[in-house]
Amino acid sequence: MNDDLYKPFLMRIETARDEAPDVRTFRLKFAEETERAEFFQRYRVGMFGLYGVPGEGESTFCVASPPTRDGYIECTFRKVGRVTQALQELEAGQAITFRGPYGNHFPIEDWKGRDLLFIAGGIALPPMRSVIWNILDRRAEFGKVTVLYGARTAADLVYKDELADWAARPDVTLVTTVDPGGQTPDWKGKVGFVPAVLKELAPSAQNCVAVLCGPPIMIKLTLPVLAGLGFSAKDIYTTLENRMKCGVGKCGRCNVGSVYVCKDGPVFTLEDISRLPAGDM
Amino acid sequence: MKALREAAEKLLREKRVSLVIGYEDRKGRPAFFAAKPEDCGRLAYDASCRQNLAAYLGKPEIRARLPVAVVAPPAVLRSIVVLTAESQLPPGQVLALAVDGDSFLGTFDAAGVAELLRAKYSTLAPEPALLERVQGLLQKSPAERAAFWEAEFSKCTRCYACRAACPGCYCSRCIVEKNAPQWISTAALGHGNYTWSVMRAFHQSGRCTLCGACEAACPQGLPLMLLNAVLDREALEEFGSRPGYDPEAKPLIGSWSADDDHSYMR
Amino acid sequence: MKTIETRRLPDLAQALSAAGYCVVAPIEEGGVVRFREWAPGLAIAPGAVPANSSKDFLFPRSEVVARFALEPGGFSPAPVERSAVKTVVLCARPCDAAALTALDAVFNWDYRDGAYNARRQAMTVVSLACSKADEHCFCTSVGGAPDGVAGADAILRPADGGQLLVLDELTEKGRALAQAAAGTLSEGPAALDAPAVLPRRFDSEAVGRWLAANFESPFWKEAALACLGCGACAYACPVCHCFDLQDETDHAECRRLRNWDSCGFGLFTLHASGHNPRPDQSARWRQRVMHKFSIYPQKFKTLACTGCGRCSRLCQAGMAIAATCERIEALGR
Repeated sequence: MNDDLYKPFLMRIETARDEAPDVRTFRLKFAEETERAEFFQRYRVGMFGLYGVPGEGESTFCVASPPTRDGYIECTFRKVGRVTQALQELEAGQAITFRGPYGNHFPIEDWKGRDLLFIAGGIALPPMRSVIWNILDRRAEFGKVTVLYGARTAADLVYKDELADWAARPDVTLVTTVDPGGQTPDWKGKVGFVPAVLKELAPSAQNCVAVLCGPPIMIKLTLPVLAGLGFSAKDIYTTLENRMKCGVGKCGRCNVGSVYVCKDGPVFTLEDISRLPAGDM
Repeated sequence: MKALREAAEKLLREKRVSLVIGYEDRKGRPAFFAAKPEDCGRLAYDASCRQNLAAYLGKPEIRARLPVAVVAPPAVLRSIVVLTAESQLPPGQVLALAVDGDSFLGTFDAAGVAELLRAKYSTLAPEPALLERVQGLLQKSPAERAAFWEAEFSKCTRCYACRAACPGCYCSRCIVEKNAPQWISTAALGHGNYTWSVMRAFHQSGRCTLCGACEAACPQGLPLMLLNAVLDREALEEFGSRPGYDPEAKPLIGSWSADDDHSYMR
Repeated sequence: MKTIETRRLPDLAQALSAAGYCVVAPIEEGGVVRFREWAPGLAIAPGAVPANSSKDFLFPRSEVVARFALEPGGFSPAPVERSAVKTVVLCARPCDAAALTALDAVFNWDYRDGAYNARRQAMTVVSLACSKADEHCFCTSVGGAPDGVAGADAILRPADGGQLLVLDELTEKGRALAQAAAGTLSEGPAALDAPAVLPRRFDSEAVGRWLAANFESPFWKEAALACLGCGACAYACPVCHCFDLQDETDHAECRRLRNWDSCGFGLFTLHASGHNPRPDQSARWRQRVMHKFSIYPQKFKTLACTGCGRCSRLCQAGMAIAATCERIEALGR
């Protein structure tokens, strides 16, 4: 393996599209075939990368496209700091730096034959979207797929076209919801917070894996609902979103208890997380 | 010592403060936090105490425990006045246990501190040894001075012990940590180190009380007081600024007047 | 025994320099002893624990890790030269040498850090056994010893009341170095001085056990009250290795730099969202102690502390990690 750990790939933005206010998706093409091949040899859903703009720095977020689509990668990010601001200003044709894929992944090979429940809030759909597409691209290997996706307002929902695709598919149950007051006049989804909508939906925990990503408050309030539905802590998966710099278990920044989130994570079961100090997250 | 300990104990016993920030009676005289009257027997003060305890007054964990008292030699008393003038101390929440050499001078509130300083320390001048060091530096040619500082700044690791030591460095986000745009290189190398130390000193001009805590804190032994002393002299000679005496004074670098000398602007 | 008179250390440095080594040694300047590159004429101060540690020469405080030429509307990658000069650290403390094995662990688990390894490979460590220790030293509490050889390629042991140094080669690199310096070494008898006597102050395993169970203890709030949140302890520490990556530009070029960083700084873990998992200094001091005595041993089977005492020796606020460990051990009883 290349031991020049901080030397990035070069990637070119093939398409750039706005998803929601301050949220943008890039489709990125590898500059070198060898780099593409090496990436997809290692890449599994849930892994992340460091996306960089020379002069501004690097920012960490997930790879939002599945390994079943191996000609490119996609990422979706919100403008929050110096790097994401610079990234948002780029257009198709321009280049960025990329390091990755890093971290562990969702163990989807262990999920074959099981039902899957995806619960996402706001900008937390991207890390799950790669999993969902990976599952849908290998649809026959998995059981029922249910997606519950909530955002503050209808405008804040990301991947609006894909949501429409999923809604139209007979082999996916998609439920979208917005916070009260976040609906538009033509809103056809639910109105209410994710935990309440989940309670109403009441999916069966029988042979089902739940994947949960979202803001801390949503996670906090959704976990008891899942527990009430009979999901066990080892069947609930989430990702930790700590601040990272190196991505390769060196810089010490993403330490939570004895875990280096960038190497041992970012994917954890609720059972894993219950062993980590809550005061460090 | 006895008088200091008794005064501290009294404040805690009468619950006028929840914490006394002082120096501990052991080697190195480290900071010590007396929370119970019986802790006060461990307080001590002598000339070897180099830490400026007013630096703790900006720390959130200490702010959460106001009112507090601080053991304060003259330079620290001045820091308290500076912080008061800059609206950094909630009124009535900080008491000073004033000390000087072996003497305990009494317990003072912010107004009392200013009064004490004016009465007893109005002619407080930088230590002669420091002025001698400044003179030595100023006798060098500009090229020699530049070489001197380059060699000194090259040792800086950017640990920011100088900033942590200083009660005047209370910004929640220091300019060196602002990154959009990034004003100062964060690499511990040449020009970034130079800019950092000079910028730190400039931000203290007219506010620095020459307590010496920054220089004492520097693990690399950088002569930071040379910068502070020169700026202190400039502030006095050019603007008549003597920080740390008047709690109503407008901070020198935080104020502007149409009467200022603008001749340097061309 | 291979010996050299202590006062002839500069001759040893000269011989090694002539043999192509970059010689790093403790050198006094302006009242501060630090490890720095030796040059002819400079005296070596073997007695002191230098203010910096030998990690500076493996993991420099700032280093370019990537470079880009900036062009209108874009950039192109530019090469980064990897510098790994053949270096000898002369008169490293045994606690400095021991720290290198701890650093090797983090820089080589799974992802191997090439720049670090290249320098490590090019470095020969000649430690100097300690015949005295000060009140901040505590190597014997963390598995070391004043005459410990962990991490060293050769060790100099004081003899004849400090007049002589006896050189023991420990590795191939050490033997190569002794060969290169053969002209300055004599063969003969010497009475080794006793190493410093340093009673163990705490049981690091007991400390680790308490830490693993007491993340939320009220102890932390009170223990960290004096800490002012600078990076002096981390930067002087021979094992601390946290870093930041920062881009810096002039008009034509961007350098991506790896700069030292510290878990003691408030911004270290601050998320872009504004959330900070470690919002106060007690959480940060806890991380420092946890990382050294609980996380690192769990992860890498070695402590991230070698008892050099630098952190406590130079802390302006009197924070002392050994004293903290003593208190923790007492809490665990």
